[in-house]
Amino acid sequence: MFKKFSLEDISAQNQVKASVQRKIRQSIADEYPGLEPLLDDILPKKAPLIVTKCQNHLNLVVVNNVPLFFNIRDGPYMPTLRLLHQYPDIMKKFQVDRGAIKFVLSGANIMCPGLTSPGGTLDEEVLEETPVAIMAEGKQHALAIGYTKLSAKDIKTINKGIGVDNMHYLNDGLWKMERLE
Amino acid sequence: MAEKPQAVRVLYCGVCGLPAEYCEFGPDFEKCKPWLRRHAPDLYPDLLLKEENETDADKAARQLQSVAISGSGDGAGGDASSAPSGSASASKQDEVKRLPGGKIKKKEKQEVVIEKIVRNKRKCVTVVKGLELFGIKLSDASKKLGKKFATGASVVKGPTEKEQIDVQGDIAYDIVEFITETWPAVPETAIFFIEDGRKVAAA
Repeated sequence: MFKKFSLEDISAQNQVKASVQRKIRQSIADEYPGLEPLLDDILPKKAPLIVTKCQNHLNLVVVNNVPLFFNIRDGPYMPTLRLLHQYPDIMKKFQVDRGAIKFVLSGANIMCPGLTSPGGTLDEEVLEETPVAIMAEGKQHALAIGYTKLSAKDIKTINKGIGVDNMHYLNDGLWKMERLE
Repeated sequence: MAEKPQAVRVLYCGVCGLPAEYCEFGPDFEKCKPWLRRHAPDLYPDLLLKEENETDADKAARQLQSVAISGSGDGAGGDASSAPSGSASASKQDEVKRLPGGKIKKKEKQEVVIEKIVRNKRKCVTVVKGLELFGIKLSDASKKLGKKFATGASVVKGPTEKEQIDVQGDIAYDIVEFITETWPAVPETAIFFIEDGRKVAAA
């Protein structure tokens, strides 16, 4: 969904009030318990928190001009890949096989066979409609952030079609937007 | 403090900006190679070593090989196999092209097409086409839509004398559920979105 994404897609930038800030912080902490001790580093209480509204009901959480999280409508907050690379263990991980990398990096959704094949791994506990980090066979870092369409068990049993929606991947519009102005 | 996980410093390629290990899948691996050789020699050991030790003879040999490969590839593609496959793909393309333009074909298939049209930067209209194919009265439908989403909804003569419903505001997200709930005759699989000129199934 960030395949084409540029400054033009931003419709409004607001510094949000403290109560909203608290809410965002809380929901991020709930969602990524591993991130809690770091939250003060990532989202400093002093620095103004800016929420950038973009088209298609997309919100970016921006601190010091760096986009850190995004969400759609009132959906879960997902970290940007740059942030995930810094703290790789905050999300549940799926791994795709090597053959899938090229497609994922051009924006394709993740198909079940790529996750169930010998090169891929699944985190059994993941339910449907949760954000996951997409890792790749033989690589150290995440290459995409996905939103599961099926639970891990279903992916295993059905093994067909789209398993995870690709939300954000390396070299897409959001990736290239290292800093916002 | 002790249990605080440290931030990982990821090595990003100076050329393409990807993490260095993904350069091989990046937009231009060839351009990244010199950078990689300098900054991350251990990531692609076999490849870079080979490159460094590569003598002119090797290069020549490789060139020859590639020529041979491409030559043989041409040979294989040039004969019988290429002609039928080419024509098949062409006809397929024609079909695809005809669909958006010719509304006649759509009539045969029962489907609801939902399109979001952006009017200016932050206002848009959602257009619903094809509800009448399921025996739904459009004037009724527009009233229901307007009531549900609390916006203006009207029956408009669309292109080629077909009637469609224009609903103010972006309701593409919620409309699928509403349609399937109010008119059980419409299956979710028959609802399509138009995104970037492409038809995308809703379900």
